Amino acid sequence: MNAWFNGLDKAFIKALRRNWFNLLLSGISFGAFLTIWWLVSAWFHGDWPFGFRDWVDTAEYIPYPWVVIQAFLDSFSHRDPFSELYMGDHIYASMKRITLGFALAFVAAVPLGLLMGRSRKSEAIANPEVELFRPIPPLAWVPIFTIALGFIWGPIVMVFMGIFFPLLFSVRLGAKSVDPLLIDAARTLGANKIQIFTKVVLPSTVPYLMTGVKVGLGIGWMCIVAAEMLGAVGGGVGWYIWGTAQVGRYDLMYAGMATIGLLSILTTGVAGLLEQRLFKWMGTK
Amino acid sequence: MDGDQVGASIRIQGLSKVFTEGNRSVNALADFSLEVRNGEFICLLGPSGCGKTTVLRIVAGLESKSAGSVVVKGREVVSAGSNRGMVFQEFALFPWRTVRRNIEFGLDMSQVPLQKRQEISSKLIDLVGLRGFEDAHPRQLSGGMRQRVGIARALANDPAVLLMDEPFGSLDAQTRNLMQRELLRIWEATKKTILFVTHSVDEAVFLADRIVIMTARPGKVREIIDVGLPRPRDRTSREFISVRGKVLLELDEEFEKARAKEMAQRAPARAASAQ
Repeated sequence: MNAWFNGLDKAFIKALRRNWFNLLLSGISFGAFLTIWWLVSAWFHGDWPFGFRDWVDTAEYIPYPWVVIQAFLDSFSHRDPFSELYMGDHIYASMKRITLGFALAFVAAVPLGLLMGRSRKSEAIANPEVELFRPIPPLAWVPIFTIALGFIWGPIVMVFMGIFFPLLFSVRLGAKSVDPLLIDAARTLGANKIQIFTKVVLPSTVPYLMTGVKVGLGIGWMCIVAAEMLGAVGGGVGWYIWGTAQVGRYDLMYAGMATIGLLSILTTGVAGLLEQRLFKWMGTK
Repeated sequence: MDGDQVGASIRIQGLSKVFTEGNRSVNALADFSLEVRNGEFICLLGPSGCGKTTVLRIVAGLESKSAGSVVVKGREVVSAGSNRGMVFQEFALFPWRTVRRNIEFGLDMSQVPLQKRQEISSKLIDLVGLRGFEDAHPRQLSGGMRQRVGIARALANDPAVLLMDEPFGSLDAQTRNLMQRELLRIWEATKKTILFVTHSVDEAVFLADRIVIMTARPGKVREIIDVGLPRPRDRTSREFISVRGKVLLELDEEFEKARAKEMAQRAPARAASAQ
């Protein structure tokens, strides 16, 4: 065993020692969740001593945990029953949509949020539209986006709509929350307006921006089912959920839902890691 | 040298400032005049709300004036600029920049080349005694050390005057005394003109060549006291205590006036609420 591995090993054990109790709590919580699921499922199957035998018809609605886990594992090696695609294809298609929708939202929301946060005039100009469109649930856009933009761009724009507003509001709040004293300091040090923006406002906004990114990514995944409801070229996890439900394969449907949960944890985790790196690099945490 | 024969560094004449908020307006300064010589250490002292900080902010160019003129090194002040460095009570350091990069901020703004920039910042790091902390971030420093960074940062552009707004107000008593001695050392090394706002009589008598006592709002100069004690000053000496007593007496009068005025203003409101 070399030194590097030894060091890593020690760091892992140290982290484990520090967090063992919280890890234990998380473990117990997840175990309890699986147990309750199993009990409810058993009840629906009529296997539970107090269950109703007449509910056996509906047993398929709540499959046993291990059935869903098996369906999830199988979905990577077996084609799905309605579009003949593997889970990997669906994940790839949805990831592509989230990435593109997120990139579009980022490019649009960050400059607009900075502008609205720093200039009263631009806020007055943009506010009516922002306030009008903000409360509209992304789901409301599904039919028209699918018809008008088609199966490729429709879902992407749906995801965009979901991510755009939380990101915009975080960035605007960040731009508004810049410490005025730092701007004063920069001015007395000879900074012009552009330098104040790039050297003071922008770095001050980063923590808010990262919060917006994390919230936005979560909402993006929430939108994916709606986005792929009517159809999606090349599959998609949202579409997979709709499709499997329609052919009555609820075990696969739950596997699709679990996939969204896992993917959301993954993307938020990556964003969190990026945030930590950024804060460390900036020296603010 | 700068075409100013009398050697005046800052010349403030008839300075007034009216703050308007909605339909209410407050006279913060009325006819404030002061002349500061090159290399002089001036402390502005007055009851709270008398506009000391407003004077400083107008000289810095962070606040507009309502009337009068402010001339620094022969040039009328119209906006903030790098010939006046400012040190803030709350330090106002950039949290994402290291000590060195905070000090270099002003040099970055004027695009000073890297080598020259580092040469200047290294010199300043030595001057304020931060050797070894160049790569630390502000949150890792104590209050006193943060203000050392604040002073070095303000000096980086080599400004004609240093404006200090209660710079040691948030430090504990021991650190405060240490920083006062440090500031005098830095002042003697750099020969800057310093305009220093404080509400501590002790601090003013310890630091200043001249103490400017301001009246209660609207602020103007009530009296200028020449401290005239040799440095280093001994806080326990008879002379120090005598100057301190004199300044306190003046200040107490202004404080009483300010209090009486405030009571008079509040009186109708109190009568109304008593009914």
